[in-house]
Amino acid sequence: MKIVVCIKQVPATGADKRYAEDLRLDRAGVEAIINPLDEYAIEQALRLVDDGSVENVTYLSMGPEQASEALRRALAMGGDDAVLVTDPALAGADEWGTAKVLAAALDKLAPDVALMGMASDDARGSLVPGAVAAMRNLPLLSYGAELNVADDAARVRRLSATGYDWLSAPLPLVATVTDQVGEPRYASLKGIMAAKRKPMQTWSLSDIGLSAGDLRGAALTRVTDTRPPEEKPPTERIENLPAAEAATKIADWLTTRKLI
Amino acid sequence: MSNDILFLAEFAGGSPARSALELATGAAELASQSGGSAVALAYGPGAPDGAAALGAHGATRAIVLGDDDRPAIAYAAAVVSAARDGGLALLAPATPNGRDLAAALVGTLDLPAFGPVRAACFSEGTIETEQATLQGSVITTSRPVDGAATPSVVLVLANTFTPNEGGSGSAEVIQAPAAEDSAFAQVTVAESHEADAKVVNLEEATIIVAGGRGVASEDGFGPLRELASALGGAVGASRAAADAGWIPYQLQIGQTGKVVKPSLYIGAGISGAIQHRVGMQTAEHVVAINKDPDAPIGEFADLFVVGDLFQIIPALTDEIRRRKGA
Repeated sequence: MKIVVCIKQVPATGADKRYAEDLRLDRAGVEAIINPLDEYAIEQALRLVDDGSVENVTYLSMGPEQASEALRRALAMGGDDAVLVTDPALAGADEWGTAKVLAAALDKLAPDVALMGMASDDARGSLVPGAVAAMRNLPLLSYGAELNVADDAARVRRLSATGYDWLSAPLPLVATVTDQVGEPRYASLKGIMAAKRKPMQTWSLSDIGLSAGDLRGAALTRVTDTRPPEEKPPTERIENLPAAEAATKIADWLTTRKLI
Repeated sequence: MSNDILFLAEFAGGSPARSALELATGAAELASQSGGSAVALAYGPGAPDGAAALGAHGATRAIVLGDDDRPAIAYAAAVVSAARDGGLALLAPATPNGRDLAAALVGTLDLPAFGPVRAACFSEGTIETEQATLQGSVITTSRPVDGAATPSVVLVLANTFTPNEGGSGSAEVIQAPAAEDSAFAQVTVAESHEADAKVVNLEEATIIVAGGRGVASEDGFGPLRELASALGGAVGASRAAADAGWIPYQLQIGQTGKVVKPSLYIGAGISGAIQHRVGMQTAEHVVAINKDPDAPIGEFADLFVVGDLFQIIPALTDEIRRRKGA
Protein backbone atom coordinates (compact mmCIF):
# COMPACT_ATOMS: atom_id res chain seq x y z
CA MET A 1 0.00 0.00 0.00
CA LYS A 2 1.46 3.33 -1.07
CA ILE A 3 0.42 6.85 -0.09
CA VAL A 4 1.54 10.10 -1.69
CA VAL A 5 1.05 13.09 0.61
CA CYS A 6 0.80 16.37 -1.29
CA ILE A 7 2.21 19.31 0.63
CA LYS A 8 2.44 23.01 -0.06
CA GLN A 9 5.00 25.46 1.17
CA VAL A 10 3.29 28.62 2.41
CA PRO A 11 4.35 31.87 4.07
CA ALA A 12 4.47 31.48 7.87
CA THR A 13 1.09 32.15 9.45
CA GLY A 14 2.09 35.34 11.22
CA ALA A 15 4.46 36.62 8.52
CA ASP A 16 4.02 40.01 6.89
CA LYS A 17 2.61 39.23 3.43
CA ARG A 18 1.68 41.45 0.53
CA TYR A 19 0.92 41.46 -3.17
CA ALA A 20 3.70 42.66 -5.47
CA GLU A 21 3.11 45.15 -8.28
CA ASP A 22 2.42 42.32 -10.74
CA LEU A 23 -0.56 41.32 -8.52
CA ARG A 24 1.13 38.08 -7.49
CA LEU A 25 1.94 37.21 -3.92
CA ASP A 26 5.34 38.60 -2.97
CA ARG A 27 7.13 35.67 -1.32
CA ALA A 28 10.60 37.22 -1.21
CA GLY A 29 12.06 37.41 2.27
CA VAL A 30 9.03 35.80 3.89
CA GLU A 31 9.60 32.84 6.21
CA ALA A 32 8.16 29.71 4.60
CA ILE A 33 6.72 26.66 6.33
CA ILE A 34 4.80 23.48 5.49
CA ASN A 35 1.14 24.48 5.22
CA PRO A 36 0.05 23.71 8.81
CA LEU A 37 -3.01 21.73 7.69
CA ASP A 38 -0.79 19.53 5.48
CA GLU A 39 1.05 18.39 8.60
CA TYR A 40 -2.11 16.56 9.65
CA ALA A 41 -2.10 14.69 6.34
CA ILE A 42 1.53 13.75 6.96
CA GLU A 43 0.64 12.61 10.49
CA GLN A 44 -2.27 10.52 9.19
CA ALA A 45 -0.06 8.82 6.60
CA LEU A 46 2.66 8.07 9.15
CA ARG A 47 0.11 6.62 11.59
CA LEU A 48 -0.98 4.24 8.85
CA VAL A 49 2.67 3.21 8.46
CA ASP A 50 2.94 2.78 12.25
CA ASP A 51 -0.06 0.43 12.33
CA GLY A 52 1.26 -1.56 9.39
CA SER A 53 -1.43 -0.79 6.84
CA VAL A 54 0.83 1.32 4.59
CA GLU A 55 4.33 0.44 3.39
CA ASN A 56 5.44 3.50 1.49
CA VAL A 57 4.98 7.27 1.93
CA THR A 58 6.12 9.68 -0.75
CA TYR A 59 5.78 13.48 -0.50
CA LEU A 60 4.88 15.57 -3.53
CA SER A 61 5.02 19.33 -3.80
CA MET A 62 4.72 21.87 -6.58
CA GLY A 63 6.56 25.11 -6.07
CA PRO A 64 9.80 27.04 -6.48
CA GLU A 65 13.14 25.33 -5.76
CA GLN A 66 13.09 26.39 -2.12
CA ALA A 67 9.95 24.24 -1.60
CA SER A 68 12.45 21.37 -1.31
CA GLU A 69 13.01 22.64 2.26
CA ALA A 70 9.38 21.82 3.08
CA LEU A 71 9.80 18.35 1.58
CA ARG A 72 12.98 17.81 3.61
CA ARG A 73 11.12 18.80 6.77
CA ALA A 74 8.32 16.36 5.97
CA LEU A 75 10.91 13.60 5.44
CA ALA A 76 12.31 14.40 8.87
CA MET A 77 8.90 13.49 10.36
CA GLY A 78 8.99 10.12 8.54
CA GLY A 79 8.27 8.64 5.14
CA ASP A 80 10.49 7.41 2.34
CA ASP A 81 11.10 9.83 -0.49
CA ALA A 82 9.95 13.07 -2.12
CA VAL A 83 9.29 14.70 -5.46
CA LEU A 84 9.34 18.40 -6.22
CA VAL A 85 7.72 19.62 -9.43
CA THR A 86 9.23 22.96 -10.31
CA ASP A 87 9.20 24.89 -13.55
CA PRO A 88 9.34 28.58 -14.47
CA ALA A 89 6.01 28.10 -16.29
CA LEU A 90 4.31 27.42 -12.95
CA ALA A 91 4.77 30.86 -11.39
CA GLY A 92 1.38 32.34 -10.52
CA ALA A 93 -0.47 29.02 -10.76
CA ASP A 94 -4.05 29.11 -9.47
CA GLU A 95 -6.01 26.18 -8.03
CA TRP A 96 -6.80 24.77 -11.46
CA GLY A 97 -3.15 25.02 -12.57
CA THR A 98 -1.93 23.43 -9.35
CA ALA A 99 -4.42 20.59 -9.68
CA LYS A 100 -3.37 20.00 -13.31
CA VAL A 101 0.28 19.61 -12.29
CA LEU A 102 -0.38 17.46 -9.21
CA ALA A 103 -2.72 15.22 -11.22
CA ALA A 104 -0.04 14.61 -13.86
CA ALA A 105 2.62 13.93 -11.23
CA LEU A 106 0.27 11.56 -9.37
CA ASP A 107 -0.46 9.69 -12.61
CA LYS A 108 3.25 8.97 -12.75
CA LEU A 109 3.57 8.03 -9.05
CA ALA A 110 0.34 5.97 -9.10
CA PRO A 111 -0.31 5.74 -5.34
CA ASP A 112 -3.23 3.88 -3.77
CA VAL A 113 -4.13 7.04 -1.88
CA ALA A 114 -3.19 10.63 -2.76
CA LEU A 115 -3.61 12.40 0.57
CA MET A 116 -3.89 16.16 1.15
CA GLY A 117 -4.68 18.64 3.91
CA MET A 118 -8.19 20.09 4.03
CA ALA A 119 -7.16 23.62 3.02
CA SER A 120 -4.13 25.80 2.54
CA ASP A 121 -3.33 28.66 4.84
CA ASP A 122 -2.89 31.16 2.03
CA ALA A 123 -5.70 30.39 -0.44
CA ARG A 124 -8.49 28.55 1.39
CA GLY A 125 -10.57 27.48 -1.58
CA SER A 126 -9.99 23.79 -0.80
CA LEU A 127 -10.61 22.95 -4.46
CA VAL A 128 -7.32 21.30 -5.42
CA PRO A 129 -8.02 17.79 -4.01
CA GLY A 130 -11.42 17.43 -5.71
CA ALA A 131 -10.10 18.87 -8.96
CA VAL A 132 -7.19 16.41 -8.92
CA ALA A 133 -9.65 13.54 -8.34
CA ALA A 134 -11.77 14.71 -11.28
CA MET A 135 -8.76 15.06 -13.58
CA ARG A 136 -7.62 11.54 -12.68
CA ASN A 137 -11.18 10.13 -12.72
CA LEU A 138 -10.85 8.82 -9.16
CA PRO A 139 -13.19 8.94 -6.15
CA LEU A 140 -12.75 11.67 -3.51
CA LEU A 141 -13.02 11.04 0.23
CA SER A 142 -12.78 14.48 1.80
CA TYR A 143 -12.64 16.13 5.24
CA GLY A 144 -11.78 12.96 7.11
CA ALA A 145 -11.30 13.23 10.85
CA GLU A 146 -9.65 9.83 10.40
CA LEU A 147 -8.60 7.72 7.40
CA ASN A 148 -8.49 3.91 7.24
CA VAL A 149 -7.21 1.81 4.37
CA ALA A 150 -7.89 -1.84 3.67
CA ASP A 151 -7.04 -4.16 0.78
CA ASP A 152 -9.12 -2.54 -1.90
CA ALA A 153 -10.95 0.36 -0.23
CA ALA A 154 -10.47 3.33 2.07
CA ARG A 155 -12.82 4.99 4.54
CA VAL A 156 -12.94 8.41 6.20
CA ARG A 157 -14.87 9.46 9.28
CA ARG A 158 -16.50 12.74 8.35
CA LEU A 159 -18.63 15.11 10.42
CA SER A 160 -22.24 15.25 9.25
CA ALA A 161 -24.81 17.89 10.13
CA THR A 162 -25.98 15.85 13.10
CA GLY A 163 -23.19 13.40 13.91
CA TYR A 164 -20.67 11.65 11.72
CA ASP A 165 -20.54 9.25 8.78
CA TRP A 166 -18.00 6.75 7.57
CA LEU A 167 -17.62 7.33 3.82
CA SER A 168 -16.09 4.56 1.75
CA ALA A 169 -14.71 4.24 -1.79
CA PRO A 170 -12.58 1.77 -3.76
CA LEU A 171 -8.83 2.34 -4.26
CA PRO A 172 -7.09 4.14 -5.85
CA LEU A 173 -8.51 7.47 -4.70
CA VAL A 174 -7.85 11.00 -3.46
CA ALA A 175 -8.49 11.83 0.22
CA THR A 176 -8.23 14.84 2.51
CA VAL A 177 -8.04 14.94 6.30
CA THR A 178 -8.77 17.63 8.89
CA ASP A 179 -6.93 18.73 12.01
CA GLN A 180 -8.91 16.15 14.00
CA VAL A 181 -6.58 13.31 13.01
CA GLY A 182 -4.31 14.18 15.94
CA GLU A 183 -1.35 16.45 16.59
CA PRO A 184 1.46 16.14 14.04
CA ARG A 185 4.61 14.58 15.42
CA TYR A 186 7.81 16.56 15.82
CA ALA A 187 10.84 15.71 13.77
CA SER A 188 13.44 14.11 16.03
CA LEU A 189 17.12 14.87 15.65
CA LYS A 190 17.53 11.34 14.32
CA GLY A 191 14.71 12.01 11.86
CA ILE A 192 16.33 15.22 10.67
CA MET A 193 19.64 13.41 10.09
CA ALA A 194 17.93 10.52 8.31
CA ALA A 195 15.97 12.91 6.07
CA LYS A 196 19.19 14.20 4.54
CA ARG A 197 19.84 10.80 3.02
CA LYS A 198 16.31 10.14 1.75
CA PRO A 199 15.88 10.39 -2.04
CA MET A 200 14.41 13.58 -3.46
CA GLN A 201 13.71 14.00 -7.15
CA THR A 202 13.06 17.22 -9.01
CA TRP A 203 10.74 17.06 -11.99
CA SER A 204 10.05 19.69 -14.62
CA LEU A 205 6.81 19.97 -16.57
CA SER A 206 8.14 17.78 -19.36
CA ASP A 207 8.97 15.04 -16.82
CA ILE A 208 5.25 14.71 -16.09
CA GLY A 209 4.19 14.91 -19.71
CA LEU A 210 2.87 18.49 -19.66
CA SER A 211 3.86 21.51 -21.72
CA ALA A 212 3.52 25.18 -20.83
CA GLY A 213 0.83 25.27 -23.54
CA ASP A 214 -1.27 22.67 -21.70
CA LEU A 215 -1.21 24.92 -18.69
CA ARG A 216 -2.28 28.15 -20.43
CA GLY A 217 -0.24 30.32 -18.07
CA ALA A 218 -1.04 27.95 -15.17
CA ALA A 219 -4.10 29.99 -14.22
CA LEU A 220 -7.66 30.47 -15.42
CA THR A 221 -8.17 33.35 -13.00
CA ARG A 222 -6.37 36.64 -12.52
CA VAL A 223 -6.26 39.17 -9.73
CA THR A 224 -7.25 42.54 -11.21
CA ASP A 225 -6.98 44.70 -8.11
CA THR A 226 -5.91 44.63 -4.48
CA ARG A 227 -6.80 47.05 -1.72
CA PRO A 228 -6.73 47.22 2.05
CA PRO A 229 -9.91 46.18 3.89
CA GLU A 230 -12.45 48.84 4.87
CA GLU A 231 -11.34 50.94 7.81
CA LYS A 232 -13.18 49.85 10.91
CA PRO A 233 -13.94 52.32 13.66
CA PRO A 234 -11.53 51.84 16.58
CA THR A 235 -12.46 49.22 19.17
CA GLU A 236 -14.56 50.55 22.03
CA ARG A 237 -13.44 49.22 25.41
CA ILE A 238 -15.30 48.58 28.65
CA GLU A 239 -12.90 48.04 31.53
CA ASN A 240 -12.75 48.14 35.30
CA LEU A 241 -16.52 48.10 35.81
CA PRO A 242 -18.62 45.86 38.06
CA ALA A 243 -20.38 43.14 36.08
CA ALA A 244 -23.84 44.70 36.32
CA GLU A 245 -22.62 48.05 35.00
CA ALA A 246 -20.61 46.41 32.24
CA ALA A 247 -23.72 44.41 31.28
CA THR A 248 -25.82 47.59 31.09
CA LYS A 249 -23.21 49.21 28.86
CA ILE A 250 -23.06 46.19 26.56
CA ALA A 251 -26.86 46.09 26.35
CA ASP A 252 -26.91 49.82 25.51
CA TRP A 253 -24.34 49.20 22.77
CA LEU A 254 -26.43 46.36 21.33
CA THR A 255 -29.67 48.37 21.58
CA THR A 256 -28.13 51.33 19.71
CA ARG A 257 -27.28 48.95 16.87
CA LYS A 258 -30.76 47.35 16.91
CA LEU A 259 -29.29 43.97 17.83
CA ILE A 260 -31.69 43.41 20.73
CA MET B 1 -24.05 29.75 -24.57
CA SER B 2 -26.74 30.99 -22.24
CA ASN B 3 -26.39 33.96 -19.94
CA ASP B 4 -27.81 32.00 -17.03
CA ILE B 5 -26.38 31.90 -13.52
CA LEU B 6 -26.49 28.41 -11.98
CA PHE B 7 -26.40 27.67 -8.26
CA LEU B 8 -26.21 24.56 -6.10
CA ALA B 9 -29.33 24.01 -3.97
CA GLU B 10 -28.77 21.33 -1.35
CA PHE B 11 -31.78 19.75 0.34
CA ALA B 12 -31.71 17.71 3.55
CA GLY B 13 -34.54 16.21 5.54
CA GLY B 14 -37.10 17.55 3.09
CA SER B 15 -36.07 21.22 3.15
CA PRO B 16 -33.60 23.42 1.31
CA ALA B 17 -30.44 24.47 3.18
CA ARG B 18 -30.38 28.17 3.95
CA SER B 19 -27.49 28.44 1.47
CA ALA B 20 -29.91 27.43 -1.30
CA LEU B 21 -32.16 30.41 -0.52
CA GLU B 22 -29.21 32.81 -0.27
CA LEU B 23 -27.72 31.61 -3.54
CA ALA B 24 -31.14 31.79 -5.27
CA THR B 25 -31.23 35.49 -4.44
CA GLY B 26 -27.56 35.97 -5.31
CA ALA B 27 -27.93 34.16 -8.63
CA ALA B 28 -31.01 36.28 -9.47
CA GLU B 29 -28.99 39.45 -8.75
CA LEU B 30 -26.17 38.32 -11.04
CA ALA B 31 -28.61 37.08 -13.69
CA SER B 32 -30.24 40.51 -13.84
CA GLN B 33 -26.77 41.89 -14.66
CA SER B 34 -25.91 39.18 -17.21
CA GLY B 35 -29.31 39.14 -18.94
CA GLY B 36 -30.09 35.51 -18.07
CA SER B 37 -32.01 33.49 -15.51
CA ALA B 38 -31.17 32.06 -12.11
CA VAL B 39 -31.18 28.26 -12.38
CA ALA B 40 -31.08 25.94 -9.36
CA LEU B 41 -29.30 22.58 -9.46
CA ALA B 42 -31.30 20.91 -6.69
CA TYR B 43 -30.28 17.65 -5.03
CA GLY B 44 -30.92 15.68 -1.86
CA PRO B 45 -33.97 14.49 0.07
CA GLY B 46 -36.90 16.85 -0.61
CA ALA B 47 -35.48 18.40 -3.78
CA PRO B 48 -38.25 17.27 -6.20
CA ASP B 49 -41.06 18.71 -4.08
CA GLY B 50 -39.21 21.72 -2.71
CA ALA B 51 -37.43 22.97 -5.84
CA ALA B 52 -40.36 25.01 -7.20
CA ALA B 53 -40.44 27.10 -4.01
CA LEU B 54 -36.91 28.39 -4.77
CA GLY B 55 -38.76 30.64 -7.22
CA ALA B 56 -39.90 32.77 -4.29
CA HIS B 57 -36.24 33.60 -3.63
CA GLY B 58 -35.26 34.34 -7.21
CA ALA B 59 -34.84 31.07 -9.16
CA THR B 60 -36.49 30.97 -12.59
CA ARG B 61 -35.85 27.28 -13.21
CA ALA B 62 -34.81 24.36 -11.02
CA ILE B 63 -33.13 21.27 -12.41
CA VAL B 64 -33.64 18.35 -10.02
CA LEU B 65 -30.55 16.12 -9.99
CA GLY B 66 -31.86 13.51 -7.56
CA ASP B 67 -33.43 13.07 -4.17
CA ASP B 68 -31.55 10.26 -2.49
CA ASP B 69 -29.35 10.59 0.56
CA ARG B 70 -26.04 9.86 -1.19
CA PRO B 71 -22.93 11.84 -0.22
CA ALA B 72 -23.08 15.17 -2.07
CA ILE B 73 -20.00 14.28 -4.15
CA ALA B 74 -21.97 11.44 -5.74
CA TYR B 75 -24.00 14.13 -7.55
CA ALA B 76 -20.86 15.44 -9.26
CA ALA B 77 -21.59 13.89 -12.67
CA ALA B 78 -25.09 15.39 -12.70
CA VAL B 79 -23.73 18.84 -11.79
CA VAL B 80 -21.09 18.55 -14.54
CA SER B 81 -23.71 17.57 -17.06
CA ALA B 82 -25.95 20.53 -16.17
CA ALA B 83 -22.99 22.94 -16.28
CA ARG B 84 -22.00 21.62 -19.72
CA ASP B 85 -25.35 22.81 -21.03
CA GLY B 86 -24.47 26.44 -20.39
CA GLY B 87 -24.37 29.23 -17.89
CA LEU B 88 -21.90 32.03 -17.22
CA ALA B 89 -21.30 31.28 -13.56
CA LEU B 90 -22.13 28.64 -11.01
CA LEU B 91 -22.48 29.63 -7.34
CA ALA B 92 -21.64 26.98 -4.74
CA PRO B 93 -21.85 27.36 -0.96
CA ALA B 94 -18.42 27.48 0.71
CA THR B 95 -19.26 24.37 2.75
CA PRO B 96 -17.53 20.97 2.56
CA ASN B 97 -20.23 19.60 0.22
CA GLY B 98 -20.30 22.76 -1.90
CA ARG B 99 -16.52 22.77 -2.22
CA ASP B 100 -16.41 19.08 -3.19
CA LEU B 101 -18.91 19.58 -6.01
CA ALA B 102 -17.27 22.83 -7.14
CA ALA B 103 -13.88 21.10 -7.25
CA ALA B 104 -15.25 18.18 -9.27
CA LEU B 105 -16.61 20.69 -11.76
CA VAL B 106 -13.36 22.66 -11.99
CA GLY B 107 -11.32 19.51 -12.56
CA THR B 108 -13.70 17.90 -15.04
CA LEU B 109 -14.41 20.89 -17.26
CA ASP B 110 -11.23 22.97 -16.69
CA LEU B 111 -13.11 25.96 -15.30
CA PRO B 112 -11.86 29.08 -13.48
CA ALA B 113 -12.62 28.98 -9.75
CA PHE B 114 -13.04 31.81 -7.25
CA GLY B 115 -13.42 32.09 -3.58
CA PRO B 116 -14.59 31.85 -1.00
CA VAL B 117 -15.91 35.26 -2.04
CA ARG B 118 -17.67 37.90 0.00
CA ALA B 119 -19.13 39.72 -3.00
CA ALA B 120 -19.67 39.06 -6.71
CA CYS B 121 -21.08 40.99 -9.63
CA PHE B 122 -21.32 40.56 -13.36
CA SER B 123 -19.70 43.22 -15.54
CA GLU B 124 -18.00 43.53 -18.93
CA GLY B 125 -19.07 40.03 -19.87
CA THR B 126 -17.56 38.10 -16.96
CA ILE B 127 -17.97 37.48 -13.28
CA GLU B 128 -16.01 39.74 -10.96
CA THR B 129 -15.44 38.56 -7.40
CA GLU B 130 -14.16 40.07 -4.21
CA GLN B 131 -12.24 37.97 -1.71
CA ALA B 132 -10.53 38.63 1.62
CA THR B 133 -7.07 37.05 1.37
CA LEU B 134 -3.94 36.80 3.46
CA GLN B 135 -5.97 36.31 6.63
CA GLY B 136 -8.18 39.28 5.84
CA SER B 137 -5.35 41.79 5.45
CA VAL B 138 -5.99 42.34 1.72
CA ILE B 139 -9.15 42.48 -0.41
CA THR B 140 -8.53 41.14 -3.91
CA THR B 141 -10.72 41.51 -6.98
CA SER B 142 -10.51 38.67 -9.51
CA ARG B 143 -11.83 37.73 -12.94
CA PRO B 144 -11.41 34.81 -15.33
CA VAL B 145 -8.54 35.09 -17.83
CA ASP B 146 -9.55 35.97 -21.39
CA GLY B 147 -10.95 32.97 -23.22
CA ALA B 148 -11.56 30.88 -20.08
CA ALA B 149 -14.40 28.36 -20.33
CA THR B 150 -17.71 28.92 -18.56
CA PRO B 151 -19.37 28.66 -16.14
CA SER B 152 -16.97 30.34 -13.73
CA VAL B 153 -17.20 28.48 -10.43
CA VAL B 154 -17.71 30.75 -7.42
CA LEU B 155 -17.61 29.60 -3.78
CA VAL B 156 -19.82 31.90 -1.74
CA LEU B 157 -19.57 32.47 2.02
CA ALA B 158 -22.72 32.07 4.09
CA ASN B 159 -24.69 35.30 4.55
CA THR B 160 -23.06 36.99 1.54
CA PHE B 161 -26.55 37.31 0.05
CA THR B 162 -29.74 37.86 2.06
CA PRO B 163 -32.57 35.67 0.77
CA ASN B 164 -35.50 37.54 -0.75
CA GLU B 165 -38.48 36.74 1.41
CA GLY B 166 -42.13 37.26 0.65
CA GLY B 167 -41.82 36.45 -3.06
CA SER B 168 -44.52 34.29 -4.53
CA GLY B 169 -42.82 33.08 -7.72
CA SER B 170 -42.52 29.43 -8.54
CA ALA B 171 -39.52 27.99 -10.37
CA GLU B 172 -40.12 25.80 -13.40
CA VAL B 173 -39.00 22.31 -12.30
CA ILE B 174 -37.07 20.15 -14.75
CA GLN B 175 -35.98 16.58 -14.07
CA ALA B 176 -32.30 16.09 -15.01
CA PRO B 177 -31.55 13.18 -17.33
CA ALA B 178 -29.76 10.24 -15.72
CA ALA B 179 -26.13 11.24 -15.17
CA GLU B 180 -23.20 9.45 -16.76
CA ASP B 181 -21.20 7.05 -14.69
CA SER B 182 -18.43 8.69 -12.69
CA ALA B 183 -15.75 7.70 -10.21
CA PHE B 184 -17.34 10.12 -7.74
CA ALA B 185 -20.49 7.97 -7.66
CA GLN B 186 -18.40 5.21 -6.03
CA VAL B 187 -18.33 7.18 -2.76
CA THR B 188 -20.91 5.68 -0.41
CA VAL B 189 -21.99 6.13 3.20
CA ALA B 190 -20.82 2.95 4.94
CA GLU B 191 -22.09 3.95 8.39
CA SER B 192 -24.04 6.86 9.80
CA HIS B 193 -23.96 7.92 13.47
CA GLU B 194 -26.24 10.49 15.08
CA ALA B 195 -24.93 12.71 17.87
CA ASP B 196 -26.59 12.46 21.29
CA ALA B 197 -27.74 16.04 21.26
CA LYS B 198 -29.22 17.99 18.38
CA VAL B 199 -26.74 20.46 16.91
CA VAL B 200 -27.79 23.59 15.06
CA ASN B 201 -26.32 24.68 11.77
CA LEU B 202 -24.14 27.61 12.79
CA GLU B 203 -23.91 28.92 9.23
CA GLU B 204 -27.60 29.74 9.45
CA ALA B 205 -27.44 31.64 12.75
CA THR B 206 -27.68 35.44 12.69
CA ILE B 207 -26.50 35.77 16.30
CA ILE B 208 -23.71 33.60 17.71
CA VAL B 209 -22.33 33.43 21.25
CA ALA B 210 -19.00 31.61 21.04
CA GLY B 211 -16.87 30.25 23.86
CA GLY B 212 -13.19 29.36 24.01
CA ARG B 213 -10.57 28.10 26.38
CA GLY B 214 -11.70 30.66 29.00
CA VAL B 215 -15.05 28.89 29.33
CA ALA B 216 -12.99 26.21 31.06
CA SER B 217 -15.44 23.27 31.03
CA GLU B 218 -18.51 21.72 29.45
CA ASP B 219 -20.64 23.26 32.22
CA GLY B 220 -19.04 26.62 31.52
CA PHE B 221 -21.06 26.76 28.29
CA GLY B 222 -24.28 26.89 30.36
CA PRO B 223 -24.27 30.69 30.81
CA LEU B 224 -23.40 31.10 27.10
CA ARG B 225 -26.44 29.01 26.13
CA GLU B 226 -28.63 31.19 28.36
CA LEU B 227 -27.33 34.33 26.68
CA ALA B 228 -27.77 32.85 23.21
CA SER B 229 -31.32 31.86 24.09
CA ALA B 230 -32.11 35.38 25.39
CA LEU B 231 -30.76 36.87 22.15
CA GLY B 232 -32.41 34.29 19.89
CA GLY B 233 -29.02 33.03 18.74
CA ALA B 234 -26.85 29.91 18.72
CA VAL B 235 -23.76 28.79 20.63
CA GLY B 236 -20.42 28.28 18.86
CA ALA B 237 -16.87 27.57 19.97
CA SER B 238 -13.20 27.89 19.21
CA ARG B 239 -11.13 24.85 18.30
CA ALA B 240 -9.68 24.72 21.80
CA ALA B 241 -13.16 24.21 23.29
CA ALA B 242 -14.09 21.57 20.70
CA ASP B 243 -10.77 19.73 21.14
CA ALA B 244 -11.36 19.69 24.90
CA GLY B 245 -14.64 17.87 24.25
CA TRP B 246 -16.76 20.63 25.83
CA ILE B 247 -18.85 21.07 22.69
CA PRO B 248 -19.38 19.11 19.42
CA TYR B 249 -17.07 19.81 16.48
CA GLN B 250 -20.11 20.83 14.41
CA LEU B 251 -20.10 24.06 16.46
CA GLN B 252 -16.44 24.90 15.91
CA ILE B 253 -15.82 28.24 14.18
CA GLY B 254 -12.61 28.92 12.31
CA GLN B 255 -10.25 27.80 9.58
CA THR B 256 -11.01 24.13 10.16
CA GLY B 257 -14.59 24.59 11.35
CA LYS B 258 -17.47 26.73 10.16
CA VAL B 259 -16.98 30.09 8.49
CA VAL B 260 -19.78 32.27 9.83
CA LYS B 261 -21.02 35.74 9.00
CA PRO B 262 -23.67 36.57 11.63
CA SER B 263 -25.00 40.05 12.30
CA LEU B 264 -23.73 39.72 15.88
CA TYR B 265 -20.86 37.58 17.17
CA ILE B 266 -20.07 37.55 20.89
CA GLY B 267 -16.82 35.81 21.78
CA ALA B 268 -16.30 34.86 25.42
CA GLY B 269 -12.99 33.56 26.71
CA ILE B 270 -11.66 33.44 23.15
CA SER B 271 -8.21 34.92 22.59
CA GLY B 272 -8.76 35.54 18.87
CA ALA B 273 -5.99 33.50 17.24
CA ILE B 274 -5.79 33.90 13.46
CA GLN B 275 -7.24 30.41 12.89
CA HIS B 276 -10.42 31.44 14.73
CA ARG B 277 -10.47 34.92 13.26
CA VAL B 278 -10.70 33.72 9.65
CA GLY B 279 -13.93 31.94 10.60
CA MET B 280 -15.71 34.99 12.00
CA GLN B 281 -14.00 38.15 10.82
CA THR B 282 -16.81 39.06 8.44
CA ALA B 283 -19.41 39.20 11.24
CA GLU B 284 -21.14 42.57 11.13
CA HIS B 285 -20.67 43.29 14.84
CA VAL B 286 -18.06 41.66 17.05
CA VAL B 287 -18.22 41.83 20.85
CA ALA B 288 -15.47 40.18 22.89
CA ILE B 289 -15.44 39.43 26.60
CA ASN B 290 -12.06 38.39 27.98
CA LYS B 291 -10.24 38.81 31.26
CA ASP B 292 -6.95 39.39 29.45
CA PRO B 293 -6.80 43.08 28.44
CA ASP B 294 -4.14 42.19 25.83
CA ALA B 295 -6.04 39.35 24.09
CA PRO B 296 -5.62 39.65 20.29
CA ILE B 297 -9.41 39.67 19.84
CA GLY B 298 -9.35 43.13 21.45
CA GLU B 299 -7.55 44.43 18.38
CA PHE B 300 -10.35 43.65 15.94
CA ALA B 301 -13.52 43.50 18.06
CA ASP B 302 -15.95 46.40 17.76
CA LEU B 303 -16.59 46.25 21.50
CA PHE B 304 -14.04 44.74 23.87
CA VAL B 305 -15.15 44.06 27.44
CA VAL B 306 -12.35 43.25 29.88
CA GLY B 307 -13.65 41.15 32.74
CA ASP B 308 -14.83 37.80 34.05
CA LEU B 309 -17.22 36.17 31.58
CA PHE B 310 -18.85 34.15 34.37
CA GLN B 311 -19.99 37.39 36.02
CA ILE B 312 -20.66 39.51 32.96
CA ILE B 313 -22.56 37.01 30.81
CA PRO B 314 -25.26 36.14 33.40
CA ALA B 315 -25.68 39.87 34.15
CA LEU B 316 -25.98 40.60 30.43
CA THR B 317 -28.52 37.80 30.00
CA ASP B 318 -30.67 39.26 32.81
CA GLU B 319 -30.41 42.74 31.34
CA ILE B 320 -31.41 41.57 27.86
CA ARG B 321 -34.36 39.59 29.24
CA ARG B 322 -35.44 42.67 31.22
CA ARG B 323 -35.29 44.90 28.12
CA LYS B 324 -37.16 42.36 26.04
CA GLY B 325 -39.80 42.26 28.79
CA ALA B 326 -39.47 38.55 29.27
